[in-house]
Amino acid sequence: MIRTALAPRPTRPRRLIGTGAAVTAAAGIALLAGCAPTASEAEEPSTGSTSSSESSSDDTSSEDTSSGGGSTGAGGYADGTYTAEGTYATPESVETISVTVTLQDDVITDVEVTGNPQKRESEEYQGKFIGGIAAVVVGQDIDDIQVSRVAGSSLTSGGFNDAIETIKSEAAA
Amino acid sequence: MAAAAASWRFEAIGTAWEVVTDEPLPAAVRDAVNAVVDGFDRDWSRFRPDSVVSALADAGGAVAAPADAAAMLEAFASLEAATGGAVNPLVGASLDSLGYDASYSLHDRGARPAPADWRERLTWHDGRLSLSGPGTIDVGALGKGRLVDPVLEVVAAASPGDVVIDAGGDLAVRGRPQRIGLEHPFDTRRAIGVWEVGDAALCASAVNRRSWPSATGTTLHHVLDARTGQPVRAYAATWAVAADAMTADAVATALFFDGGPRLAHEWGVEWVRMTTDGSVEWSAGCRADLFLGADSVER
Repeated sequence: MIRTALAPRPTRPRRLIGTGAAVTAAAGIALLAGCAPTASEAEEPSTGSTSSSESSSDDTSSEDTSSGGGSTGAGGYADGTYTAEGTYATPESVETISVTVTLQDDVITDVEVTGNPQKRESEEYQGKFIGGIAAVVVGQDIDDIQVSRVAGSSLTSGGFNDAIETIKSEAAA
Repeated sequence: MAAAAASWRFEAIGTAWEVVTDEPLPAAVRDAVNAVVDGFDRDWSRFRPDSVVSALADAGGAVAAPADAAAMLEAFASLEAATGGAVNPLVGASLDSLGYDASYSLHDRGARPAPADWRERLTWHDGRLSLSGPGTIDVGALGKGRLVDPVLEVVAAASPGDVVIDAGGDLAVRGRPQRIGLEHPFDTRRAIGVWEVGDAALCASAVNRRSWPSATGTTLHHVLDARTGQPVRAYAATWAVAADAMTADAVATALFFDGGPRLAHEWGVEWVRMTTDGSVEWSAGCRADLFLGADSVER
């Protein structure tokens, strides 16, 4: 194995609780204030994204106060304090936060975020069981490495493949 | 290099199998393998209406426990504990809801968490498997590995020499070590490393093949976090080597979550995993030969 020791680096900084909570809080505020009508779609990351911005729109509590007329973002919210409880999923855990926003003349004057992180294990603790990490893996062409077989995601069967083909053809129609 | 080995291919439990032996397997041995595979499928497949788990799905009930029930469900209990509930044998309805259902509708009806109290709902003792109320058992977290083990047993008992059981990427090897490429989850023509495995099992799990579009156009796949019913997003592929395939398969599943490395450590399993942003981690002492960049860090 090629393992070149360099300066140690944080193992997985993107999974720090604070980061996830902050991002979710921002999304929650957007939802409350109604100034970002596409927030719930934007929250759904595409495959391959890193996890820090992940907050599940499905899991977000329905207590948000976006009203029907709010899609223009033109305001019209009553002054007051709005609170939304929500859970969001990191890839490894389900976190619960509460976002309280104070609105005055459609301006957010105060935001309070309280979290209830349920993540059990610290990065340091995790590190005991991980032997090494590489930021980049250099793939090699399978034809060049003389292997007898390959292991990855399970090969799919006819049934699944047929279903995918059906979806593709429907999408193209 | 030995003379060309005999290869027997078939499709079962939703994947392509290959059994490689030094000499062609007699028909009686193939029949015995088919019986093992079919028995497992009839017990555990949620994709067939006449299976034991399908019979329990609508309203629950109690049945004579299938042969593999205790071993698999006890392993599930360990997986649940290790992953904080992310792995759950009642995740079938969550998969159904995303469209990974018996008819492969691939119609996304939204994320649905699996019941966190599955150990109260699903019990196995005194030879009975009981499910209180409706629920869809899905043993995908380790079931394929579980089936590879008895298939290897049947084949190896009848076939001296080297044996490879390859269940579409979950492998058990007896005899001469095999060089196995670790398929790059984002480019299946490439490998991120090679693992030489003899007299052991290597199980892989990755999110790239069993994937389909969600209602909003994003990509769904079949590795779910049972707590949310959502596909996992942090890891793209995992590989684990253990003495038996069920253990390797179970750890390969656990590695999609934070608790995986610890469970692997407890069970003495070597592993490699790749995140969705392309970095790779491995266990201490892992013997896989990985094609790494220059900035890797050995702990």
